[in-house]
Amino acid sequence: MRDKAAFEQVFKIKGGDFINAGESSIRIRNILKDIGIDANIIRRVAIAAYEAEMNVVMYAQRGLMKVVINPEQIFLRVEDKGQGIEDIELAMRPGFSTATEEMRERGFGAGMGLPNIKRNSDHFSIRSSVGQGTKLEMIFELNGENG
Amino acid sequence: MARSVFFHSVKIDKKKCIGCVRCMKGCPTKAIRVKNGKAIINKERCIDCGECLRVCQYNAVVPITTSSADLNKFRYRVAVPSPVLYSQFGQHIMPNEILSVLKELRFDFVYDEALMCEMTSGAIEEYLDDNKGPKPVISSTCPVVVRLIQRLFPSLCNRIIPIEPPREIAAKNLRVEISNKYKVKKEDIGIIHITPCAAKMVSINHPETLQKSYLDGALSIQDIYNEIMMKLKKAEKPYILEAQRQVSGIGIGWAIAGGETRGLKYFHSVSVSGVYDTIKILEDVEAGRLDNIEYLGCLICPDGCIGGPLTVENRFMAKSNVLRLIKTFGGKRRVTAHFVKKLYQQRFFSFEASVKPKPFSPLDINREKAIRKMKLLEKTFGKLPHIDCGVCGAPDCRTFAEDVARGEAKISDCLFIKTRKGRNEK
Repeated sequence: MRDKAAFEQVFKIKGGDFINAGESSIRIRNILKDIGIDANIIRRVAIAAYEAEMNVVMYAQRGLMKVVINPEQIFLRVEDKGQGIEDIELAMRPGFSTATEEMRERGFGAGMGLPNIKRNSDHFSIRSSVGQGTKLEMIFELNGENG
Repeated sequence: MARSVFFHSVKIDKKKCIGCVRCMKGCPTKAIRVKNGKAIINKERCIDCGECLRVCQYNAVVPITTSSADLNKFRYRVAVPSPVLYSQFGQHIMPNEILSVLKELRFDFVYDEALMCEMTSGAIEEYLDDNKGPKPVISSTCPVVVRLIQRLFPSLCNRIIPIEPPREIAAKNLRVEISNKYKVKKEDIGIIHITPCAAKMVSINHPETLQKSYLDGALSIQDIYNEIMMKLKKAEKPYILEAQRQVSGIGIGWAIAGGETRGLKYFHSVSVSGVYDTIKILEDVEAGRLDNIEYLGCLICPDGCIGGPLTVENRFMAKSNVLRLIKTFGGKRRVTAHFVKKLYQQRFFSFEASVKPKPFSPLDINREKAIRKMKLLEKTFGKLPHIDCGVCGAPDCRTFAEDVARGEAKISDCLFIKTRKGRNEK
């Protein structure tokens, strides 16, 4: 793997910053377009990255989104310092949400965030500890059937 | 990907261009560079939005439209003016007066496109009623929006409603009807759109969803404005066109942003105008943020077609005029739903081909090389001053870094890097 070309970049995400929310996903999307990734894969990454970014904005104080692109895969890791998730299985259930009334008024918190991330990525893992934070990892295959 | 021919509706007049950075800065797709003191448009990146035309102070950006002299090629001339034309001559001139003057000037037949706009509203409803595909469905009216989606948002091509814009459907129908009624050969008929923008020339010369456009050209509103105005002024009594039209405010409303969606009954629709806002909303659509919207109307010009670069009246006055016309003609549809439904089922409004994605070329066609160039891009960008001065001839530092990564510019073209280097050498 060492000598293979890999591009990586880290973006900072600020909790509660709804004004700039979504900027990092747009920048990732533009990078993928410049590299010439298939439009449908870009759309899936864009959706997953956006949902993950919004989760940090809504539920954490701060977070980092790291993207690594090599000729075979796109790897995305979103890590935050925040409240964490008590019951991951429940959080993965479509429609389940702990969003406040205020977030819902902004059009967020439909309970589709994590399910959407899982549905749009080829491999997905989540780890979380209450009071500490959450770590999501996603892999998108570039040469698989979905490409 | 084979490079297709890119026809464009604007060109730079090298004699008039003084090499300032206005058009380069204003270009939403970063298609312009200034090299050797002259602006150059990259044909592959231009989407014909007309922003450069708007911002140029030196008339160096020239729109390419059909000239009045070109009309002489046709034995029988038909005008299909955009409803925008009705907004250009003040509050007291009615559409039929404008149409009769237009006819007297140099056409054998004039058609009120507003009527077809109203019918198209009905066709859009028919489509949305049955839509089971992804949402939102996006309007196909503005040719620049279609081009923008093909190039910048290729994954959204399948969202574009497969219904031709009113000007094309009108022209298709007129050619058949006129040929039958007046016994004119189809090829002798020239159907000309009277247009508020040059972008229609691109959709006429290189249609995306038709084998061949049904229109034969587009004459700019600016080019014919004076003649119409003079005739309207001289007229002693108002011009009245023989057959009174059955048009309503719904069709006329298509001239302004929101007009197309206003005609749709119960669908959750949103309308956006202006090139930067359109790009922003399409980013939201691509990220899956607007899946609850059923129909999205986008127009590239600010406030819709009345904000077109080839109009004369300022767009705020024009908008006020259109709103008044909508009031006068009423918001009730005059075309029966049954009639439109029948035509819709006969595919009268349909695309002949679907919109194909045409993404911008990546940094390299080889993915591994593209990734390496992306790294070079970021590395180069890190060295630049990030003040986007434009002296290097690229619109901003980021785009300059991309040019360097593509091998189209040298990092020493950056004034800051050059002087810094010079200082170090001393």
